[in-house]
Amino acid sequence: MKKRTGVFVCHCGINIAGTVDVKNVAEELMKHSNVAHSEDYVYMCSDPGQKLIENSIKEHSLDSVVIACCSPNLHETTFRNCAKAAGINEFQCEIANIREQCSWVHKDKLKATEKAKKITHSTVERVVKNKSLEPISIPVTRRGLVIGGGIAGIQAALDMANSGYEVVLVEKSPSIGGHMIQLSETFPTLDCSQCILTPKMVEVSKHPKIKLLTYSEVQEITGYVGNFKAKILKKPTYVDPTKCTLCDECIDVCPIVVPNEFDLGLTGRKAIYIPFPQAIPATFTLDIANCPGLLPIACGKCMDVCEPEAINYDMKPEIIEEEIGSIVLATGYDLYDKENMKEYGYGKYADVLDGLQFERLLSASGPTMGEVLRPSDHKVPKEVVFIQCVGSRDPELHCAYCSKICCMYTAKHAMLYKHHVPDGQAYIFYIDIRSGGKDYEEFVQRAKEEDGLVYLRGKVSKIFEENGKITVWGADTLAGKDIEINADMVVLATAMRPAKGAEEFAKKLKISLDKDGFLSEAHPKLKPVESVTSGLFFAGAAQAPKDIPEAVAQASGAASKAIIILSQDQLFHSPMVAKVSLNLCTGCGMCVDVCPYDSLSLKDNKAEVNEVLCEGCGTCSATCLRAAIEVKNITPVQIYEMIDASVGG
Amino acid sequence: MAEEFEPKIIAFLCKWCSSAGSDLAGVSRMKYPPNVVPITVMCSGSVSPLYIFNAFQKGADGVLVSGCHPGDCHYIQGNFYARRRIALVKELIEYIGLEPQRFKMSWVSAAEGKKYTQIIQEFVQELKPLGPQKKLRREK
Amino acid sequence: MVNLEEIKKEAKKILEEGKVKYIIGYAKSSNALMAAPTFVKKPEDIDKLIWDPTCFQNLVKFLIDEKRKKAREKEPDTRPIGIFVKGCDSRAINVLLQEKFITREDVYIMGLSCEDVGVLDKKKIFKKLKGEKPEKIEFDQRKNIVISTKEKTIKIPLKEILAERCLECTSSFPVISDVFWGDRNNRSPKEPFKCLEQIESLSQEEKWDFWQQQLSKCIRCYACRSVCPMCYCDECVVDSINLAITADTTAEEKAQKIKWIEKSPESSENFGYHLVRAMHLAGRCIDCSECERVCPVDIPIRFLNKKLEKVTKELFDYKAGLDPEQPSLVSSFKDEDPEDFIR
Ligand SMILES: Cc1cc2nc3c(=O)[nH]c(=O)nc-3n(C[C@H](O)[C@H](O)[C@H](O)COP(=O)(O)OP(=O)(O)OC[C@H]3O[C@@H](n4cnc5c(N)ncnc54)[C@H](O)[C@@H]3O)c2cc1C
Ligand code: SF4
Ligand code: SF4
Ligand code: SF4
Ligand code: SF4
Ligand code: SF4
Ligand code: FES
Repeated sequence: MKKRTGVFVCHCGINIAGTVDVKNVAEELMKHSNVAHSEDYVYMCSDPGQKLIENSIKEHSLDSVVIACCSPNLHETTFRNCAKAAGINEFQCEIANIREQCSWVHKDKLKATEKAKKITHSTVERVVKNKSLEPISIPVTRRGLVIGGGIAGIQAALDMANSGYEVVLVEKSPSIGGHMIQLSETFPTLDCSQCILTPKMVEVSKHPKIKLLTYSEVQEITGYVGNFKAKILKKPTYVDPTKCTLCDECIDVCPIVVPNEFDLGLTGRKAIYIPFPQAIPATFTLDIANCPGLLPIACGKCMDVCEPEAINYDMKPEIIEEEIGSIVLATGYDLYDKENMKEYGYGKYADVLDGLQFERLLSASGPTMGEVLRPSDHKVPKEVVFIQCVGSRDPELHCAYCSKICCMYTAKHAMLYKHHVPDGQAYIFYIDIRSGGKDYEEFVQRAKEEDGLVYLRGKVSKIFEENGKITVWGADTLAGKDIEINADMVVLATAMRPAKGAEEFAKKLKISLDKDGFLSEAHPKLKPVESVTSGLFFAGAAQAPKDIPEAVAQASGAASKAIIILSQDQLFHSPMVAKVSLNLCTGCGMCVDVCPYDSLSLKDNKAEVNEVLCEGCGTCSATCLRAAIEVKNITPVQIYEMIDASVGG
Repeated sequence: MAEEFEPKIIAFLCKWCSSAGSDLAGVSRMKYPPNVVPITVMCSGSVSPLYIFNAFQKGADGVLVSGCHPGDCHYIQGNFYARRRIALVKELIEYIGLEPQRFKMSWVSAAEGKKYTQIIQEFVQELKPLGPQKKLRREK
Repeated sequence: MVNLEEIKKEAKKILEEGKVKYIIGYAKSSNALMAAPTFVKKPEDIDKLIWDPTCFQNLVKFLIDEKRKKAREKEPDTRPIGIFVKGCDSRAINVLLQEKFITREDVYIMGLSCEDVGVLDKKKIFKKLKGEKPEKIEFDQRKNIVISTKEKTIKIPLKEILAERCLECTSSFPVISDVFWGDRNNRSPKEPFKCLEQIESLSQEEKWDFWQQQLSKCIRCYACRSVCPMCYCDECVVDSINLAITADTTAEEKAQKIKWIEKSPESSENFGYHLVRAMHLAGRCIDCSECERVCPVDIPIRFLNKKLEKVTKELFDYKAGLDPEQPSLVSSFKDEDPEDFIR
């Protein structure tokens, strides 16, 4: 049956009609043998405009329409919905862009009108050969995956699980908790970090909908939104958590001592260990990298003493495959490497610490049981220098960005130090104070006023050890003088970096990172938790430096986005996908090579399209020598006709 | 006075960058000659050499293929394949004696309305002295 | 040196063992200057086989016919086909393997090195003979050809009547084979693309005039396409309407066929055909020159394909048919591919 196309030319006030003779365009197109109706109207996108289109479709029994108006980026959806409302397939509606690409860029009305006719004619040729298409529906695996078990990952997993969906939570270290569990008290309220986090950790471990995989890493993610497959490597802990009674016997006998990661090297731990008492899962882990050897057994002491026989040297790495509908990435941060901050004596002098080490010193469960003592001689430091922006806001040498939370935690550190050592003196070098956030400015002011902190605006030029003191040379730019402080301890607010291995991990998962290595969101304003891959969301410090409330808020945001996917009965995918003509295809596989989405494969010597993966880019179709593959509704035959119309007479 | 020759240009623009870039030229009310009729395709990687030859056969005086800058293709790498393919087309048509000025490829991002405008202006200027393209054109 | 007797011995052996379905090779024909393709099915027929510079045809094309035949058979004989290949021909096999048109198991490749010689260009000899019909030819020391006609016997140095491609050949031995005869010495002609210089040095209008003159002769007999081992498509884009016919194609759509290129031998269509064909052979043509040889109106088709071979080498460092595992020229790219032509 011959197509009956309607052409609707919009004036867009004078935006189009000022340069294009819209009536003439409509009249001209009426001559086309497929055009059953054409008209012009002042604002097609207005309600009456849309009504007009709807009525014309019905009145003239149109089966396809071309709207000659502004860019399809603006109103394609409007008009497709309008076509749909009038009972025709939405893919039978195409937009001829005669505004941005014509009326707005030309002056000569005659010529602009001729060009508008060609553009509209070309679009009519396209629509005449358009097929009615239905969005491709894809099933959804109603199961979420959260990668990273810091506060952000924990929150996202809990939100998803509490909405009734199963969640797999993967954490690479032996326990969940992330950096928050290492903190002492948290700004601005000074609640104890462990006190507010451990209940959530326990909730995770007890939640019937959460499958927790610690000491595990995601190796591969394949598939697409609604239907991902994750391959997860679970490393052996050599301790059966169901049997381990946390009796500590093994620790007592283990002869190997290594720096304790949880205390950032301020204490030691054994090769068999529990990261911290409230670890979830509550069990021991045998750190094979530091154990003298299991196969053949070199020591075996722990196994000998373990009464419940929880220790099993034969445990093997396990590959766990999970089917997943949507994913939240919450791999968090790490602090800027010591290596990079040699100029501050960081890593060289025992009493130069980073913020997290200082958190451990402040922590009631820390190496000093909450007493602030110098690591070098366990004396109470009477003068402490805090330095902000270490490695941050330094585009030449370090990171260009602001790590955002250091101003706040430094104020907190100095304040807590004063609470522990009331007669001590705290100096803070800063560039400026950024305390945007609810109650944050008040917190900083309180620290300044009540605790008598000395804020020095300026940079530190040199730090060196002398007679058991750490001498800090700096400048107070406000007072305009040089300063020398003989401190007992220096605490550096080092920059927040994406978690170690994030780059490799991103490569494996084909996720894009921003210039600093943080996860890059789909839109900085409107899609802050979405990645460009649909079905993959971000939460926490992996996306940018953040404090806990922000990490938690973003986690809930990401979880709700992930839930939107999980809650669908099915998802829809654009039907403008590749299609193979089996009679032409010789199975050369060139299209398979070029497809950026791995949506093509060879089956029985012919190309086969996985419609769900295909994004309709058409690269395959230009590559195929036999023109055996084309993208629906923008086929070579359509282009052929469009070229005809575009060249014109 | 004889009317000045007005070349006909067919521009294959990728939807995500170059077509968006030409939209921006419009939004910014930049002005360029009306000699070009755009055909928006999904990606520069989808432009088959057949389209280009066909446009010339149908009497186009100039053909432009434009896509996203390398690394920016919406489909990750379509423009890299296009770059190779178009290089071959370009060499071939010059070798058979078609004026090289008649065929162009460009990278125009969604932010480069100005660049698109300039490209069209230049293209038209270069084509005018050449007169109508008759070499590959079909007799009617 | 390639010893014909050894070749025959191997051919006989594999036929007797039933290792191959048959062997495609060369035999004498009624035309003294041109060996004819022959299909040896029985061991007793192997004495037909010859190997000398008259074996210029590329037998790989027959593999395409074989594949089509096999596809129609109910219970096809799946043994490989024995096939004699020269250096260039072997690269055609590689392209077919690369494009998965055949599999390695489909062929038993019997490689022949052209060594320091090559094959004849019939047209060059005809010119020398000035119309006389050759009765008998002999090769003297692989240096000269001795041709006897009714009137006389002349001796011509081989160099003068070898095919152009042989004079410019860089690898005159098969790059893939199951058995192999002769040496594997690479040749290094100083300027493998010398033949193009003449055209490349022309001005743009002269180029046009040259090609216009040449291509306007084309009668669109498609002999070039029929003989080409790379033109194996079931339906060539040049013929087809290229309308994907699927279940939802309407009768009306079928009726409204469009053709990218019309069959009529008009200038525009001839250019269309040759441009498309040249593009489709970029990174695939292995310069066997069969297309040019069979052209009844002597169009120098090789200059088109050779040009893209050169461009491909220079811009992308790619040569057709070297490795069946390499991705095709246009289905791959390198980050550093040139883009100085892009605005
Ligand atoms: C010194 C200091 C003091 C601070 N004080 C405060 C404060 O008082 N108040 C406040 O609000 N904020 C504070 N913060 C900020 C707070 O630490 C962060 O906002 C919060 O920890 C971010 O949580 P997260 O889950 O995004 O990342 P993280 O806590 O870093 O958690 C990420 C988790 O993911 C895991 N992981 C990483 N990569 C992988 C992988 N590939 N696969 C599986 N798992 C992976 C990690 O092991 C980790 O468990 C402080 C930060 C510092 C440095
Ligand atoms: S490129 Fe064309 S012929 Fe080759 S496999 Fe793909 S669709 Fe088939
Ligand atoms: S249109 Fe693009 S995404 Fe779809 S199959 Fe072809 S190359 Fe792949
Ligand atoms: S080039 Fe020669 S062989 Fe090929 S179609 Fe034309 S006339 Fe026939
Ligand atoms: S010219 Fe191209 S499409 Fe035609 S048969 Fe040869 S390779 Fe196939
Ligand atoms: S185009 Fe000519 S030279 Fe090239 S492979 Fe085909 S027949 Fe041989
Ligand atoms: S989408 Fe613009 S070049 Fe691929």
